[in-house]
Amino acid sequence: MGDWITQSSQLIASVEEPHGADSHGGDHGDGHAWVSWEGLLVYVAIVVGTLFVLMAQAKKGLNNRFFTNKLTQLFEQVYLFIENMCVGTIGAHGRRYVPMIMTMWMLVFSGNLLALFFPTSPTADLSFNLGLALVSVAYVQYEGIRANGLFGHLGHFAGPKLGGFLALLISPIIFVIEVVSELMKNVSLSLRLFGNIDGGHRAAEAMNTLGAGIYVPFGAFLLPIKLLTVVVQAMIFCLLTAVYLSLVTHHDDDHGHGHEAEAGHAEVAPAH
Amino acid sequence: MSNAKQSSGPPAIVGIVVGAALMFGGFWFSKNVKLEFIKTLEAQGIPLDPGKTISIIGVLLILFPVIKFFFIAPLAEAIQNRTTELERTFGEAENLRAEMTQMKQDYERRLVQTEADAREQIQSQIKEAQSLRQQMMAEASAKAEELKASAAREIETQKQQAIAELRHHVVELALQATEKLVEANVDDERNRKLVADFLETVEAPR
Repeated sequence: MGDWITQSSQLIASVEEPHGADSHGGDHGDGHAWVSWEGLLVYVAIVVGTLFVLMAQAKKGLNNRFFTNKLTQLFEQVYLFIENMCVGTIGAHGRRYVPMIMTMWMLVFSGNLLALFFPTSPTADLSFNLGLALVSVAYVQYEGIRANGLFGHLGHFAGPKLGGFLALLISPIIFVIEVVSELMKNVSLSLRLFGNIDGGHRAAEAMNTLGAGIYVPFGAFLLPIKLLTVVVQAMIFCLLTAVYLSLVTHHDDDHGHGHEAEAGHAEVAPAH
Repeated sequence: MSNAKQSSGPPAIVGIVVGAALMFGGFWFSKNVKLEFIKTLEAQGIPLDPGKTISIIGVLLILFPVIKFFFIAPLAEAIQNRTTELERTFGEAENLRAEMTQMKQDYERRLVQTEADAREQIQSQIKEAQSLRQQMMAEASAKAEELKASAAREIETQKQQAIAELRHHVVELALQATEKLVEANVDDERNRKLVADFLETVEAPR
């Protein structure tokens, strides 16, 4: 047990190691450290382990009556929150996506929360966030194909149905733009989360450096706003996934309407 | 909520197997493959490790089905069962309430009916009592009249009897007086006075 803790500590500490030739962990030139593959594994293990311990405790309180276990009540509220978000965004069929989006929310939220107590966290790592985003967008595509069929889903990328010459001229352009847009969703989702969580760390570090001379951890004053970021970023990630699911699983003929909604979210997103 | 239990993706075991493969594949990629554009990104301050990304995709592919079956599906089922239970309880309560309302209405209707019956019965009894009273009064009156008549007849009989007896006594007295007059042998003036005094004594009670 002691050895395991020591090894784990070393893995976490690897975040502080310089950028080695055979490792991607370390310092990338601006004094800010980032986590290695093994370090990320430990952080993910902490997140997943904590989640499973909490879920196991909450599971004990499940019954067909009133949940008296506080932890079960908490998870119930999370479930209902995610369900409301899915139904509100996607529609009545949004309930089927609740397990996926709730899992995503718990991972992102726990990862973000870890960032408040540790030098770094899984969600402060772009690679982790890109993995999350790729899974999210791939799932959206899978559901789109399931809902509309392969050609129906691809046809969705071509925009509104045009006739004659316009179809030959404009539809391919829209198709390319839409494909690029789909690919950019990965970048958008991952960079937003990475920027907010890693940015929080950097800001705290910078402010701590500022107060190092007088032994005042100015970075601690950022805790309330970091706490807000923890909640908001987890919600945004899941909300955007729900919006993407909504766009590909709605069977309306008004393609333009869906894209307007998407554009609206794209405009709002950078503000976070 | 029950939809949360529905499978909305590929079979879980496929996800877990692919996930495990990607986890190890990512580790291998991270340690052995060095891409030129990654170094460029790092130089620009964008720390990206495709090996970690691949591993994380693998972890997520494992985690999604595991968390779903370990916790989210039971949670959704418990919430669904509770909702069903609550709906059933509310339904039962609503039925009981409707039943109670119906019973209350029946009771009120029966109460009104009972009151009406009681009132009717009381009125009927009052009427019967009044009728009985009148009948009894008539009977009593008739009996009283009969008794009165009987008494009058008795009085008349007694009166006639008394008068007869009185006459008899008067005659007796007159005879006695006469006898005394004769025995006394007094003069005419005195006889007259005696007769007169006697008659006064006899008539005085009248």
